[in-house]
Amino acid sequence: MSTVKEKLIENLIEEDKISQRKITIVGTGAVGMACAICILLKDLADELALVDVAVDKLKGEMMDLQHGSLFFNTSKITSGKDYSVSANSKLVIVTAGARQQEGESRLALVQRNVNIMKSIIPAIVQHSPDCKMLIVSNPVDILTYVVWKLSGLPATRVFGSGCNLDSARFRYLIGEKLGVHPTSCHGWIIGEHGDSSVPLWSGVNVAGVALKTLDPKLGTDADKDQWKNIHKQVVESAYEIIKLKGYTSWAIGLSVTDLVGSVLKNLRRVHPVSTMVKGLYGIKEEIFLSIPCVLGQNGVSDIVKVNLNSDEEALFKKSADTLWNVQKELVF
Amino acid sequence: MATLKEKLIAPVAEEAAIPNNKITVVGVGQVGMACAISILGKSLADELALVDQGSLFLQTPKIVADKDYSVTANSKIVVVTAGVRQQEGESCLNLVQRNVNVFKFIIPQIVKYSPDCIIIVVSNSVDILTYVTWKLNGLPKHRVIGSGCNLDSARFHYFMAEKLGIHPSSCHGWILGEHGDSSVSLQELNPEMGTDNDSENWKEVHKMVVESAYEVIKLKGYSNWAIGLSVADLIESMLKNLSRIHPVSTMVKGMYGIENEVFLSLPCILNAQSLTSVIN
Repeated sequence: MSTVKEKLIENLIEEDKISQRKITIVGTGAVGMACAICILLKDLADELALVDVAVDKLKGEMMDLQHGSLFFNTSKITSGKDYSVSANSKLVIVTAGARQQEGESRLALVQRNVNIMKSIIPAIVQHSPDCKMLIVSNPVDILTYVVWKLSGLPATRVFGSGCNLDSARFRYLIGEKLGVHPTSCHGWIIGEHGDSSVPLWSGVNVAGVALKTLDPKLGTDADKDQWKNIHKQVVESAYEIIKLKGYTSWAIGLSVTDLVGSVLKNLRRVHPVSTMVKGLYGIKEEIFLSIPCVLGQNGVSDIVKVNLNSDEEALFKKSADTLWNVQKELVF
Repeated sequence: MATLKEKLIAPVAEEAAIPNNKITVVGVGQVGMACAISILGKSLADELALVDQGSLFLQTPKIVADKDYSVTANSKIVVVTAGVRQQEGESCLNLVQRNVNVFKFIIPQIVKYSPDCIIIVVSNSVDILTYVTWKLNGLPKHRVIGSGCNLDSARFHYFMAEKLGIHPSSCHGWILGEHGDSSVSLQELNPEMGTDNDSENWKEVHKMVVESAYEVIKLKGYSNWAIGLSVADLIESMLKNLSRIHPVSTMVKGMYGIENEVFLSLPCILNAQSLTSVIN
């Protein structure tokens, strides 16, 4: 007696269950779920796996996304606390970790999150040995280093969301000041994702017109228009949003999705993400900091050699020293 | 002394003041923000206003937020998600009186600042609150729509698709009536389908739709992603003038022998004029 399915559908070949663009997101908190919904809205994955330790929340989030399947094109959404669900991922996004508390600097989170990474990273690599890993958890530069060390993967396949979001906030604020869309304003923030990030004022431009040529004092304390405040706002914005709503999620979710697009579609776009910078700008330690990187299907394939003036290079090195001072104390 | 902006940019024409596709979301809880991110992700609005009684967000001319309803002015579409949340085990109908009082404040403000808007009510119990919204503002009934069974039908598509091994958009099925416990499903492929005689138990699929909302709430405390996506789907039909058919909550007095002014979900054509027709 045939089932309804058999009466309706004639099967011709066996379904190939292997996904071509699988993404795993580790951590289903506000950031992880913001990444998930943005990835679904942009049709970047054919399979999405969610992993967390809070099993009820995890299952609830998975079901909520599945119920929206009619409205997007990712046909398989799975979840589990066991990393076997992550097998065969092209990209693994790590958002798990303790949350930055109000007033807590990113660096204060570190040791708590190192211990969490120890329980996560080896399992991920075991199930997806060829994956790229995108680290979001804070402090992102240090944790990208930690994950790289724990994973045994080449440094080109482990990168941190880094200053992609800082640069996005920077461009948004420049756009506000000029009345122009952020995508038409170009500006790069590099270095540490956090208090000591470095804005590259000489590169800030609209339609190829460098703002610094219109005002040589741009970004300095002598600048009457106080453009330097824009960078200050970028550094403080996370703290301000955390104070207002308890956490940040949407902007980081959108910026992560932007990075995912470049990797999964092999676009080779340039993004300021956290990568291994030993040997650059006089840095001698294994530090991860954001510099403009070419992102494609193998992760970071190239870096852009930005000319830093002496002040910028000093700030960059200072970032590196700050991070190394924390990194060298870490217990693995 | 020219500012940097003046040195860089020479204005040529007056900047337009009124947005073309402004959407307001009332209530910035989980549902409201899921609607917001879905709307942004699908690029449906040129301006998005968020309003709630709580605190301020980051402000831009394109995304504005306040507790003063003046930020909602000139909206084409207003999505109402404000209200108290369904508790674990609480049936939809129990939410009613709590939410009616919230709406008595919200709805007149919305209509004051956007007298030509279309209102989509999402807050539960949606069918009753859509009726309340309509009564509170005097808008013509085709401009007050409840998200209704759009989500139930989407869940139905999903469960049906899982059973058949194909994409939800290639499965067609309608859940109508009340969003919740007493919704009605239409199925035709197997005459026994949906009845107790059906050995494959397709009736189970409809049961899963009804219960799945409760289950998600039990597991994560609330549901938001699916409803956010389904609301963006409705908005897309209206702003892009698609005339697609969606099961949404509308005034059904005079149909199917119904004599009272009640709102229930039927298949409706949605386009730029809002809800223009109901399918028999």
